[in-house]
Amino acid sequence: MKQLIKINVNGDEYEVAVRATTTLLDLLREELKLTGTKKGCELGDCGACTVIMDGKAVNACLVLAVDSAGRKVQTIEGLATGGELHPIQRAFIEKGAIQCGYCTPGMIMRTKSILDKNPTPTKKEIKEELSGNLCRCTGYTKIIEAVETARDYLNGKQPPKMEFMPQKSAMNLSVVGKRLPKIDAPDKATGRAIYTDDISLPNMIYGKFLLSTVAHARILSIDTTQAKALPGVKVVLTGADVPDIRWGTSPPRYDETILAKGKVRFVGDVVAAVAAIDEETCYRALELIKVEYEELPAVFDPIEAMKEGAPRLFDDKYDNNINTHVDHHFGDIEKGFAEADYIREERFTGNRTYQNPMEPHCSIAEWDQHGRVTLYTSTQVVHYVHHQLSHILGIPLGDIRVIMTNCGGGFGAKAATTTIEVMSIFLSRVAGCAVKMRFSREEMYLFGRGRHKQYIDLKIGVKKDGTITAVKQKAVLEGGAYSSFGIVSTYYAGSMLTTLYKFPNYKYDGFRVNTNLPPCGAFRGHGCPHPRFAFESLLTMIADDIGMDSIDIRLKNAMTPEYHTCNDLDIHSCEFTACIEDVRKKSGWDQKKGKLPRGRGIGIGCGGFVSGAGYPIYRSKFPHSSATIKIVEDGSRAVLFIGDADIGQGSDTVLSMAACEAMGISYDRISVVSADSDLTPIGFGAYSSRVTLMGGNACKMAGEEVKSQVIAQAAEIMNVKAAKLEARNNRIFLKKDPSTFIPWEQAGFAHFSKKGPLLGKGHYSPPEGLGGKYKGAAIGTSPAYSFSATVCEVDVDLETGKVKVLNFWDAHDCGTAVNPMLVEGQAEGAVLMGMSEVLFEDEVFDKRGKMINPDLHNYLIATSADMPEIHSTIVDSYEPAGPYGAKEVGEGATLPILGAIANAVADAIGARIFELPITPQRVLKAIKELKKKQD
Amino acid sequence: MHLPDFIFHQPVSVQEAIGLLNQKSNAVAMAGGTDLLVELKKGIRRHEDIVSLAKITELKQITEDKNNLFIGACITHSEVIASLLVGRIAPALVEATSKIGSDQVRNTGTIGGNICTAASCCDTAPVLLSMNASVEITGFKNKRIIPLRNFFTFNKKTILQKDELVTRIIVPKPGPATGACYEKFGLREAGSISVVSVAAKVQILEDTFVDVCIVIGAVAPTPKISRQATDLLMGKKVSEFIEKSQLLEDVGDAAVRDSIPIDDIRGGAQFRREVLKVMVKRAIIRAVEIAGMKN
Repeated sequence: MKQLIKINVNGDEYEVAVRATTTLLDLLREELKLTGTKKGCELGDCGACTVIMDGKAVNACLVLAVDSAGRKVQTIEGLATGGELHPIQRAFIEKGAIQCGYCTPGMIMRTKSILDKNPTPTKKEIKEELSGNLCRCTGYTKIIEAVETARDYLNGKQPPKMEFMPQKSAMNLSVVGKRLPKIDAPDKATGRAIYTDDISLPNMIYGKFLLSTVAHARILSIDTTQAKALPGVKVVLTGADVPDIRWGTSPPRYDETILAKGKVRFVGDVVAAVAAIDEETCYRALELIKVEYEELPAVFDPIEAMKEGAPRLFDDKYDNNINTHVDHHFGDIEKGFAEADYIREERFTGNRTYQNPMEPHCSIAEWDQHGRVTLYTSTQVVHYVHHQLSHILGIPLGDIRVIMTNCGGGFGAKAATTTIEVMSIFLSRVAGCAVKMRFSREEMYLFGRGRHKQYIDLKIGVKKDGTITAVKQKAVLEGGAYSSFGIVSTYYAGSMLTTLYKFPNYKYDGFRVNTNLPPCGAFRGHGCPHPRFAFESLLTMIADDIGMDSIDIRLKNAMTPEYHTCNDLDIHSCEFTACIEDVRKKSGWDQKKGKLPRGRGIGIGCGGFVSGAGYPIYRSKFPHSSATIKIVEDGSRAVLFIGDADIGQGSDTVLSMAACEAMGISYDRISVVSADSDLTPIGFGAYSSRVTLMGGNACKMAGEEVKSQVIAQAAEIMNVKAAKLEARNNRIFLKKDPSTFIPWEQAGFAHFSKKGPLLGKGHYSPPEGLGGKYKGAAIGTSPAYSFSATVCEVDVDLETGKVKVLNFWDAHDCGTAVNPMLVEGQAEGAVLMGMSEVLFEDEVFDKRGKMINPDLHNYLIATSADMPEIHSTIVDSYEPAGPYGAKEVGEGATLPILGAIANAVADAIGARIFELPITPQRVLKAIKELKKKQD
Repeated sequence: MHLPDFIFHQPVSVQEAIGLLNQKSNAVAMAGGTDLLVELKKGIRRHEDIVSLAKITELKQITEDKNNLFIGACITHSEVIASLLVGRIAPALVEATSKIGSDQVRNTGTIGGNICTAASCCDTAPVLLSMNASVEITGFKNKRIIPLRNFFTFNKKTILQKDELVTRIIVPKPGPATGACYEKFGLREAGSISVVSVAAKVQILEDTFVDVCIVIGAVAPTPKISRQATDLLMGKKVSEFIEKSQLLEDVGDAAVRDSIPIDDIRGGAQFRREVLKVMVKRAIIRAVEIAGMKN
């Protein structure tokens, strides 16, 4: 029964009928259609739904609508007055505090409540006060800066102007290399940006999954009679109602079914699905479905799972549950170790972590009367979803339209087709209307695809002078129930060890093992962070053992440009040494190392990544990225159409900048349409740090095509040869005499009038034949590689084992930084996410395979209060394969963090932690064991 | 995620609320809802009737008399923090309260709710216990005042009957030269659940601990007074007591003996014992400092 309430929202009086169980959040979003307030966790842990009620910040998910009756509520929509942005919104845009934007409305409303109460908070106070609002993208650094800036604006002060010196490679460029605000930031700051869950189509119903409650079982029967009879229920589907198709991420390992076919393999496996007029009815229907299971023995530990006689997840494949085995040997490992003066081998253990983008996955599917389906979805990879749906549905790409809305972060969690993308389509087809499906935070964890926990045995041999002679790694990856990206993860775990340091002899044994847990997939740094943690840890241990400085041993072996690695990867641009030297200097390494008091420590870690995978996930001849540009008739604006996906990292901005530079127009004259399979040409999307280089090249090419046409037109107007003209800053001018020019738009307008549409197109594929000829040689190949180094300083409470990270000094070789502010945003986000993974994060399961901490209350991620000082540097570099010399930074920047913290902690306490996360308990244990040894 | 159906009642008086709790077979009172709504959404508990206390103004008052501070059960954490009265009489309660959740949670959650949820890691109870606080419990027929130390029976269990409400928290005013503080050990800098917590209160007159109370949290089914630690410190000379003194070590060990920690995802039992000892020592040192400043 509903109750009529009156509520004042943003100054407007509303009379709304609400259920007792309706939250203020649902009232705002679903009834009043004020979708700027976001739904992140629904349990009061993330702050995404922060609104101001009677002057106080509250989580709208934990306020009942009936309790908000008669109150005054202020949401993000009420902050700007008329067309004028609030100073807080302006500061967030200017300072680069907005990435995916999903936390932004809550963050801005919280900021407002902070500044309303205390107009002059200090940085420390801001860090503490903002700690109830989680952000996964920015590392909070730029958010805190934005709040300080907003504070200054509101106090009538101009914030200090920042000194900025462009990189050498960007000196002569007009748009690329500038610190420009993100193109999507104003929409995100005002709550206008549309995410999938903000969309409500006419006649739309809702879908939900029934998930397995047991880890491993045969399904004996499913009774849906009562559920189907419930009023409001439109569709109920079980495995028997859907085609028997295997799907997945990597074609050799398609092993997922649309719904469980007779068997479930983990707590959270998809058993049945319902569609009903609202979610409440779905939940009621789910409770009415009766499933009879015959439980089977389950296995949760990969080492156990590999043993003879262990329970098998698949009867017809993956012997001993080994889903992928890699056996690589490059050079001569025996000879390499024989040449070594010192050898050390250690076991390192990673942790099972989850990306936790702030936006839960959401998809809406609708079929039309022509047999064509449209899917709105929160994804990183429109094309792969498109391709996978074509495979599952057995219809051509042309009959499917995939539209990516704004995406509230991914980090790999949305890098492949999801169960709700598939199921919303099936439910919609049967129901004959649009169906929305969304994950709760718990369902996100259970869908999984987070980081594989790796058990790594690493052995390194060095000469007396620190030269690495041989490396041997064995990695066991705990894979969960299905393959997802796992085959690629397993190869990456081995192949990427060779890009930072030169060594001629390398052996890698990789095993990915299925267990009865949620499937693991690709999480920022894909497969590489744990091996890199192991390597950076062991290298520092070896340096200590042979009496060498940890930085010196890295410099001794550091990668140099134009190097061919032992596993046939080709390194081109490389300023790794400059990165290491930079952090050595800026951190005061030489003054601090070995001289800090006990409990204080300093450590170095390094990393790097591919700038886009050299090969696609499935065999395809399509360009990896492509772009088209359309110039508006009067020449006043360009519209860029790009298939790649902006998941918050800023690709729409970076790609626009590349296109503007190429066309010779300014950044305020471009708009972007991205990631819509009907409108935008193919792009493989946001994974493997590929978009800046690949999408950037495609946009540059498209822009150059526009430029040559517009210059040809200008040549006619100006009556000179086209070769004598150049376009830049919205002018077309004589190269020899720039003061002789016509406006760019004049030429654009003339072109359209005479020749019709002014269009440009561009595409990019990596060079053919990258990599070696051995099995798996494709993985690790890339047109270019990034490099970074980080020095971390920690303070350890020797009595409790608690680690407080104080400082990071990080330097990045990302080629030309197309937008340095965004590069910093990526680096700062990577630092904080890496730190969060190292110190806090771990998925924990009970003895029956049920996850114990599937929320943001028990699975902790770093808050603003945990934020260390991050001092990022972008070194001078130029990558010939990249647009204007650019390469990646997003994933490469994550990789140094794990080892750097581990090394700093070891330096602080004099003992090493071999297992992630580095919890106070593990640290304290190490301190006590060391003390016992010393006594 | 959704809230299963319930009927929502919004009584305006304590008596009306108690009447509803008494009438309905499976009703529960809701103060701020920051715990209850989470548990309902997670499906950990279900109630057909929810009795909201939000409209009962008598539960929203902070008052004092000559001997006591009275905090209404529906005073939010933020109101506790902002209250000059609480700040003057029980600054340690302000300290502990400011370590609960986030500002958003503190703006909604209440002191009464925090106590009635009765989690072993509850952040307000240790300080209240150390200050010898009581709860005023209003029932269908009568009103009773119970020392908080007798209120908790187990993790998430209290002596509260179905048709009773905690209406006020009564905090005796501390004597002269009293110092109290709260040490919380969580895994992150903010918004984390206590892995170990300690409240210490000391009153020092003429170089002697004349009144002491050491409370330990998150290391037993309920927050509890460590009798052994308290007794050990009571009557001792403050001048004997210095940082790293044997007495301090002994008090720490005594508190550990009174703990019954468990292993959970936040830490093992042994780890909790080790941290408990450290937190007890730190809390006492700080409480002594505070007491010293008041002398």
